[in-house]
Amino acid sequence: MTTTTTPAHTSPSDGRHHRSATRRLVTTELRLMLRDPMTLTFVLVFPVLCMLIIGGSFGTSPDEVFPVNPAHWYVASYLSVVIGATGMIMLPVHLASYRERGVLRRFATAGFPRWSFALAELVVGLTSIAVGSALLLAVAGPVYGVPEVHDPVRTVAGVIVGSVTFVGLGVLLGTLLPSARSAQAVGLLLFFPSFLLGVGGPPPAVMSPALRSISEVLPLALATNAVREPWLGIGTGTGPLIAIAVIGVVACALAARRTAL
Amino acid sequence: MATVLHGQCGGMQSPRILTPRSPAVETSVVAVRGLRKSYGGRVVVDDLDLDVALGEVVALIGANGAGKTTTVECLQGLRHPDAGTVRVLGLDPVKDANRLRPQIGSQLQDSALPDRLRVAEAVRLFSSRRARDGEELLERFGLGPRRGSPFAGLSGGERQRLFLVLALLNQPRLVILDELTQGLDPAARREVWSSVAQLRDAGTTVLLVTHELDEAEVLCERVVAMRSGGILDAGTPAELVARHGGWAKLQFGADLDGEELASLLRLPGVFEVGSAAGQVTVHGERMMIAHVGAWLVPRGPVPADLRVDVPDLEAALLTLLDGSTPARSPEPSPTALIGASA
Repeated sequence: MTTTTTPAHTSPSDGRHHRSATRRLVTTELRLMLRDPMTLTFVLVFPVLCMLIIGGSFGTSPDEVFPVNPAHWYVASYLSVVIGATGMIMLPVHLASYRERGVLRRFATAGFPRWSFALAELVVGLTSIAVGSALLLAVAGPVYGVPEVHDPVRTVAGVIVGSVTFVGLGVLLGTLLPSARSAQAVGLLLFFPSFLLGVGGPPPAVMSPALRSISEVLPLALATNAVREPWLGIGTGTGPLIAIAVIGVVACALAARRTAL
Repeated sequence: MATVLHGQCGGMQSPRILTPRSPAVETSVVAVRGLRKSYGGRVVVDDLDLDVALGEVVALIGANGAGKTTTVECLQGLRHPDAGTVRVLGLDPVKDANRLRPQIGSQLQDSALPDRLRVAEAVRLFSSRRARDGEELLERFGLGPRRGSPFAGLSGGERQRLFLVLALLNQPRLVILDELTQGLDPAARREVWSSVAQLRDAGTTVLLVTHELDEAEVLCERVVAMRSGGILDAGTPAELVARHGGWAKLQFGADLDGEELASLLRLPGVFEVGSAAGQVTVHGERMMIAHVGAWLVPRGPVPADLRVDVPDLEAALLTLLDGSTPARSPEPSPTALIGASA
């Protein structure tokens, strides 16, 4: 290190291009997400693998169990696996790790705006969902075909509302759990039952009444139905959409409050 | 036969607790009055007053659990005080956090950056509109060659220097450094000390939280000693040494008679003279060292085994923080004749 005497303060960065603190944080978080591909592996690879395996297991003809082509049923369902994996595993682990290591405290004392980190995580979460969904559909297209979207407006609304809700839930979980390891443990514990009962497991028609009752109220199942029903034309998805929107408002409000720097 | 002679301790003042108020309150950067903070019923900071003046380098020193970090977290607005008032640069750290935090450069205890964030990216991320030239700072703190390295790849010393760079980046009016050299090897500690000395020389106001006594002595103009959430004493290192460091001791081999011992006792600053087994021991203020030296020189060769022990800040603070009675008087030899004169 140098041992020269302290020079006079250099002039502030007047006149230089300067981005806002929130933009700097968002850009940095996105760059770090790309730089750490292992973080995204679960979100990107798991839904695709499961879709390929399960989607090909029940043929392509509707029957009394599947109201539509089973492969299309699972293609439409697995979009919300991307959403659930992002919200229940990726974001909580990421956030808990930051808090555990004092990264959030450092951002806070550096004067970043109070909501900048929550906003950055929202952007990171939605970006990972967008990338994961695009990959899922890109793989599904040549293998099973992408099912026709019967009600594009409600389907897109379901995707957006479901995504924001699960990003909010993920950020909230990350602020509540004490460490990255505990976030991972709790996240997996929440994700797999939700996945099996609400999205990627057996269709509701073959579930026992008790399991079906449980699956109907799981947030990930609500998000799935809000997307799947209008997409495949088997319902409007309005009820699940409203329910998931209410959960989303509460989750986002609590998450924003708890991540205020 | 051992002999101990006691003189008047006229030069020593009885211990007194100074208010930690700085001499220049009109230029106060930090003003804390009656701060109280507890966690789950356990009081961590109790009725604490603290002032830091513009341009001062002040150490908050104390053992683990003394309340140092909680105090600075209240200054940074990271914790809400239970009672008392806290003003930093005239602002309330909680209510005015958005205005205040950009004016404070903080190095936090037990904090980190994202592992894959590179040094130059960290500088860009933390650069506000009023940031100085980050590249110049990286060069100044020896991190120029490491600008492309991820945070996870930096050594402990490099990380601390990066935190210093980030703390200084936005031209803060106050720099808070909490356990800056914790866990560093001696060479890395020296590097970081050199960096803080640069801040001090540049006139930056610095509040340094540490439990390293030598760190406080080397770097700080004023030391505030804390224990159990309160302030024990505060002052310049010299003042604390004078109040809590005990006496200076001078020892040499000589066979002195009673009259010679008495003449030593009459020298300015000498409080006590003892003689046992051909070893003369003189206790007193630091300035007595010069007078005893001058007394020895005309009496022939200066004893080859002449030894001087002068109390330092570490000794003073250890006495203070341990809670023991200040070491004003050494224990007399069991064979000494207390108060015997020539």
